[in-house]
Amino acid sequence: MADIEGYPGSSMHGVTGREPVLAFSVASPMVPTDTTAKFDLPVDSEHKAKKFKIFSFANPHMRTFHLSWISFFTCFVSTFAAAPLVPIIRDNLNLTKSDIGNAGVASVSGSIFSRLVMGAVCDLVGPRYGCVFLIMLSAPTVFCMSFVSSAGGYLAVRFMIGFSLATFVSCQFWMSTMFNSKIIGLVNGTAAGWGNMGGGATQLIMPFLYDIIKRTGATPFTAWRIAFFIPGWLHVIMGILVITLGQDLPDGNLSTLQKKGDVAKDQFGKVFWNAVTNYRTWIFVLLYGYSMGVELSTDNVIAEYFYDRFDLNLHTAGIIAATFGMANLVARPFGGFASDYTAKRFGMRGRLWTVWILQTLGGAFCLLLGRSNSLPLAVTFMIIFSIGAQAACGATFGIIPFISRRSLGVISGMTGAGGNFGSGLTQLLFFTSSKYSTATGLTYMGIMIMACTLPVTLVHFPQWGSMFLPPTKDTVKGTEEHYYSSEYTEEEKAKGMHQNSLKFAENSRSERGNRVASAPTPPSSTPNHV
Amino acid sequence: MAAPGFIIAALVFSCLAANSCAVTFSSLPNNLIVSASTKQGQVLKAGEDKITITWSLNTSLPAGTDSSYHMVEVKLCYAPISQQDRAWRRTEDDLTRDKTCQHKIVTRPYSRSNNTFTWTVQKDVPTATYFIRAYVQNSHDEECAYGQTTDSHKATNLFDVQAISGRHASLDIASVCFSAFSIVSLFGFFFMEKRKAKSSQQK
Repeated sequence: MADIEGYPGSSMHGVTGREPVLAFSVASPMVPTDTTAKFDLPVDSEHKAKKFKIFSFANPHMRTFHLSWISFFTCFVSTFAAAPLVPIIRDNLNLTKSDIGNAGVASVSGSIFSRLVMGAVCDLVGPRYGCVFLIMLSAPTVFCMSFVSSAGGYLAVRFMIGFSLATFVSCQFWMSTMFNSKIIGLVNGTAAGWGNMGGGATQLIMPFLYDIIKRTGATPFTAWRIAFFIPGWLHVIMGILVITLGQDLPDGNLSTLQKKGDVAKDQFGKVFWNAVTNYRTWIFVLLYGYSMGVELSTDNVIAEYFYDRFDLNLHTAGIIAATFGMANLVARPFGGFASDYTAKRFGMRGRLWTVWILQTLGGAFCLLLGRSNSLPLAVTFMIIFSIGAQAACGATFGIIPFISRRSLGVISGMTGAGGNFGSGLTQLLFFTSSKYSTATGLTYMGIMIMACTLPVTLVHFPQWGSMFLPPTKDTVKGTEEHYYSSEYTEEEKAKGMHQNSLKFAENSRSERGNRVASAPTPPSSTPNHV
Repeated sequence: MAAPGFIIAALVFSCLAANSCAVTFSSLPNNLIVSASTKQGQVLKAGEDKITITWSLNTSLPAGTDSSYHMVEVKLCYAPISQQDRAWRRTEDDLTRDKTCQHKIVTRPYSRSNNTFTWTVQKDVPTATYFIRAYVQNSHDEECAYGQTTDSHKATNLFDVQAISGRHASLDIASVCFSAFSIVSLFGFFFMEKRKAKSSQQK
C-alpha cells in the first residue's frame, strides 16, 4: 500500500524495537526494490533510497543528505557565531550583561516563528527553494554585523540571523522526498545531530578566525567584524551549491512539486485541536525546552563563562565550549538508541524512564558545572551535562511519535518551538540580569532542569501505563486501537479516516515491552525532528 | 545507585577545595604618588590622544621602606561606574582574581623618583571611565605596594576614553557588495531555472 500521505518524512524507525535499531538499510522483502531505476543506491517504487551510505556523495539521494545537513550546520554556525567573540564585542559596543543576555534571547526567538512559516513555504514551493531562499536571504543579515555599533544594533542583527535556523524544517522535509520511510528516522536524526554540531563548531571557528585576522594587523575591534564575513560567505556558497547541485526529487527537478493524490486528507484545524488538547503534548513541549532549550542557551554563554571564570584566552575558551556542541555527533543518536533499547524490554515505561534519567542527569551536572571552581572538574561536568541534555533530545523524539498518530506533525513542530522558547526563557531568567553571576545562573538552570523534568512522571498511556502506574485493566480502554482511534469522532470513523491509525496501533503493541509475543513490521508516520 | 551519588559528593568536595595563595589589595600600602596629565572628566580618543604619567615614592615614608621594591607596573583601571552590570570588570580583594585593571601601560624597573612615561591610548581600549594605578612588585613578581591617581573611593580625578568604533568604510562597502551578490544570485538562479523549466515543458 503506497504511503502517500503528503506528509513528508514518514517513519517510525526503531519504534517497534523489532527492527535493527540502527538500520542502515531496508531489506527487499519489506520494501520492494525498483530494479529498473539506475541509481547509485537501491530505491523503492517512488525512487526513494532504501539504503543510507553515509560517505557517498552520489546524486541525488546522498548528495541531498550532505547538502541538507551542511546547510543546517552553516545556519547554526552563523546564529551562534557571536557567542565565543562576546568578550571582544562587549568591549567594542560597551555592552552590559543585560544587553548580552537579551541578544542571546533574541538569537533563538526568531526561529520559533520562522520554523512555522518554513513549513508552509515547503508545502508551497518545495524544500529545496525553501532552503535556498532562507539561506541566501539571511546572508545579508550576517554581513550586517560589520555595521553594528550599539547594543540595539547587536540585538537586532542577532535576531535576524536567528531566523535562519528554520533551514532545519526545509532540510528534514527535503530528505523525506529522497529516503524511504523505513530509514528516514535514522537519516533525519543523523542530520539533526550533525547540524546541531554547528553550535559547537562555531566556538572553535570564530576565535580561530579572529586570531588569524588580528595577526594580519587588524585591531581587535575590527578583526571580529571581519571574522563574520566567513559565515556570511558560507551562507552564499551553500545557497549556490544547493540550487545548482540539488534537485527536488530523485527523478529530477520540477518547477512545482506535483502532489500525488489527495494530499490533505485531514483538516488542519482538527489536527491542531487534537494536538493541543492532549496533555502529553504540553508536557513534552516543556521537557524539550529543558533539553534542547538549555543546549541552545549553553551554546550562547559557555565560551564567555570559561573566558571569565577561569581566565583562559579566547582560543582556549572556544575549544572547551566547542566540545559542548560537538558532543551532538554521538550524544543525540545515542539518546534515540537508548530509548529504543529500553523499549525492547520495558516498553513505553522504559522510554519514559530513559528520558527522565538522561535529562535529570544533565540537570544535575549543569548544577555541578556552575559550582565547580577548578577547570578540569568544570570541563568534566560540562561534558557529562552535554551528553545528558543532547541524549535527552534524542530520547524525547523516541516518545513523540506515540503521543498521537493523527497530529504527529503538529506535535513535533510544537515540541521544536518549545525548545527555542525554553532557550529564550532560561537565558532571560539566568543569564541576563546582574543579580547573579553566570556560575550561579548555571546552578539555578540545573535545578530548573531537574524540576521541569519531573512532569514526565505524569505521562500516562492507558494501554501502556506510566513511569509508576501500570496500564489500565479496562479491556476496551486498555488497547492501542482505542487510544489512537479516539482521536477521531464517530462521523470521521464512519468515513474510515482512522484506518491508518488502526494499523499504527497494531504495530505499536511492542511498546508493551517483552510481554508482547510478536509485532509485524511498522507502517509509517513521521516525527519531524526539530 | 548509591555509588554514583558518593562519587558525585567526592567530586563536589574536591572542587570546593581549590584555592590559591594570593596577595590582597587591602594589604598593600599606598606608598607611591602617581599623577597623570589628564583632568577630571577629560575625554581621550583611543589611538590618538596621549597621557603622561609620573610616579615617585612618598618622601614622608621612613628610609628602607622600598628595600624590596624591584619593578613598577602601571595600569589603566576601570572606575566603579564602568564596572556596573559588567561582572567581567569587577573588583576583588584577591589580586589574582581582581579584574579592575585590565590594560597594561608600561612596566619599568623601580626607582625612587623621576619616573615619567607618555602613553598613547591603545586602539583596543573600550569606551569607559578610568583612573591609573601603579603596582610595585618585588623580585618574586608579588605586589608589595601601589599608588593611584584617584582617592581610596575611586571617585576623584577620573577621565574617559572614547574607543574606536572598529568600523571601516571599506568593510561597510564590502558588506553591501556581498549582500547584493547574495540576493542577485539567488533571484538570478531562480529565474534561470524557471525559464529552463518553461522551455523544457514547451518542447
